[in-house]
Amino acid sequence: MTVVQVTDLVKRYKNAAALDGVSLTLQENVIYGLLGRNGAGKTTLMSILTAQNFATSGEVSVFGENPYENSRVLGRICFVRESQRYPDDARPVHAFRMAAMFFPHWNQDLADELIDAFQLPMKTRIKKLSRGQLSAVGVIIGLASRAELTFFDEPYLGLDAVARQIFYDRLLADYAEHPRTIVLSSHLIDEVADLIERVIVIDRGRIILDEETDAVRGRASTIIGDAVAVDAFTAGREVLHRESLGRVASATLLGELDTQDRAQLAASGLEVGAVSLQQLIVRLTQHDAESSVAASAAATTPAEGARR
Amino acid sequence: MIDEGRALFVQIAESVEDSIVDGSLPEDTRAPSTNELAAFYRINPATAAKGVNMLVEKGVLVKRRGIGMFVAAGARESLRAERRAAFAARFIQPLLAEAHTLGLSADELAAMVRDQAAAHPTSTPEGGAR
Amino acid sequence: MNRVLTVTRMQFVNKYTFVWLPLIILVVSLVLSIAIFALIPYGGAKYGGGSQAPIWYFFGLGIMSLSYTFPFSQALSITRREFFFGTMLAALVTAVLLGAVFAAGGAIERATGGWGVNGYFFSLDWVWTAGPVGAGVFFAVVGMVLFVAGFWGATLYRRFGPLGLTLTLSGVGVLLIVALWLVGRMDAWATVWTWLADLGPMGLTAVLAALTVVLGAASFLTLRRATP
Repeated sequence: MTVVQVTDLVKRYKNAAALDGVSLTLQENVIYGLLGRNGAGKTTLMSILTAQNFATSGEVSVFGENPYENSRVLGRICFVRESQRYPDDARPVHAFRMAAMFFPHWNQDLADELIDAFQLPMKTRIKKLSRGQLSAVGVIIGLASRAELTFFDEPYLGLDAVARQIFYDRLLADYAEHPRTIVLSSHLIDEVADLIERVIVIDRGRIILDEETDAVRGRASTIIGDAVAVDAFTAGREVLHRESLGRVASATLLGELDTQDRAQLAASGLEVGAVSLQQLIVRLTQHDAESSVAASAAATTPAEGARR
Repeated sequence: MIDEGRALFVQIAESVEDSIVDGSLPEDTRAPSTNELAAFYRINPATAAKGVNMLVEKGVLVKRRGIGMFVAAGARESLRAERRAAFAARFIQPLLAEAHTLGLSADELAAMVRDQAAAHPTSTPEGGAR
Repeated sequence: MNRVLTVTRMQFVNKYTFVWLPLIILVVSLVLSIAIFALIPYGGAKYGGGSQAPIWYFFGLGIMSLSYTFPFSQALSITRREFFFGTMLAALVTAVLLGAVFAAGGAIERATGGWGVNGYFFSLDWVWTAGPVGAGVFFAVVGMVLFVAGFWGATLYRRFGPLGLTLTLSGVGVLLIVALWLVGRMDAWATVWTWLADLGPMGLTAVLAALTVVLGAASFLTLRRATP
């Protein structure tokens, strides 16, 4: 069942387009990773889906309806953003009590367990909490809400590695018992790679990847060895990245390698390395940036040619 | 432990197959559930489910309604046969390639293999611990 | 409707902002005022400005209830409409309580001859011409007007930034100046003064109540497209 349908979403601020024609579909009970650089458009997209921000153009449908001022739809959603503001002088105990009032599936036992796991001080004012504790409040609300559609916008910034692992573990455990649609935005890609069923990569307001995580794994390989041999092998293939150190070169290739390729590589004495999801996405993003620079350069040269 | 370059659900399936082949998961016993696998490897339950389904389709696991997933009878032998067939491509070819780089002939390689086997005897697979 | 009431309840979860702080301000101002009244060697009735403090607090409360609670309400998936009406209701409850306190306090003052020191904190004679209930309503409405004014200002700031807020205030200022100029132009000052005097406290209350509704509508329209 489709939970979210986005068509040609555009969000323009004065000069720049934060979202430039985004279309996607989110299915029920799947954990999505929404990945991309800072400023790529992740938060903007999630804000618009939850009616906290407004589109310039395009269509958004959540649970089949327009989310704007729609309490029927919004009551099924939870969006805790990265730097969430809390009521003045509130303490975590107040924040959770308020959250319990509005999320129909709120589970207090889960909240209590998480408060314990994160060692969150309940009576300290929220504005006096450390960065990590502040993130913990958001994470706890997001998880304990058990909302049918939950967005986590890099909520674990400030959480140390141990706390992050607690978050991932509890997320998976609760998702297994109470399946729901979860969108996890992060730039700690390798950490969440195993949690997410589908990967959506957004770069400069556009979606550059929207696939099953497992399909993307193995999508790229790194070939290392003698520069001449490397170039010979990579000729005619899509190269995302190339580096060299003296006579040794390393090239990141897009495309699966079949047994014939591997035999050829072994014969040429070239080594094959796997490319992690994070590396792949980093390379894809850089590649995307480079080719758009090249495209705009190419667009200017014909004019110069014509002038001659 | 988890290889970056290959589909996760395939690796989960292989991991279950490993324990069937080495005997730690005997035939006709209950296989780990999807949630157990997901929790153990810290991965998405849907991915674990895909791996389990792959094994069911392959006939390595059978679903017993109401109880769970069980290792199929004869799974161990059929997996071993499958792996023996792949053994050459998976282990011997890389071995030969590396030997070639080092300038070792096939005969020298064979002699080394025999020497190593004699020096480090491992208990035979039939009825052995591993 | 249910969710609107839940928003009202939500505003009272942390009692500090809507209950304790205004109460503290009230008590402290009252005690200080009485102390000062006792110290001043003046035989006639004494009036301080102390009672303004808890009333002006409503302006700050309006600002705070938007600035700090609105972003969180969005995270809890509360619609702007629910937030607006729920918060206004919470303010109304507090304002009515304020009115009740001022009515009761005023009655006590008048009975004790100004706390025994001829000092008047709660009861302003002009307001009390309408009686204790009228006085209570008057103060409640004053509180509400201030709340909505603060709320609207904070909403403008949130949606349009400092520039937007300044422009709107300037716009309002310009309208006022134009109105005053028109009055002068039509040589109508005498009429205006008479009208004001005839209003009396209940008339003024009605005017302020109308103003509350106008400011409230303006806030609602501004809020509809505000982002947390």
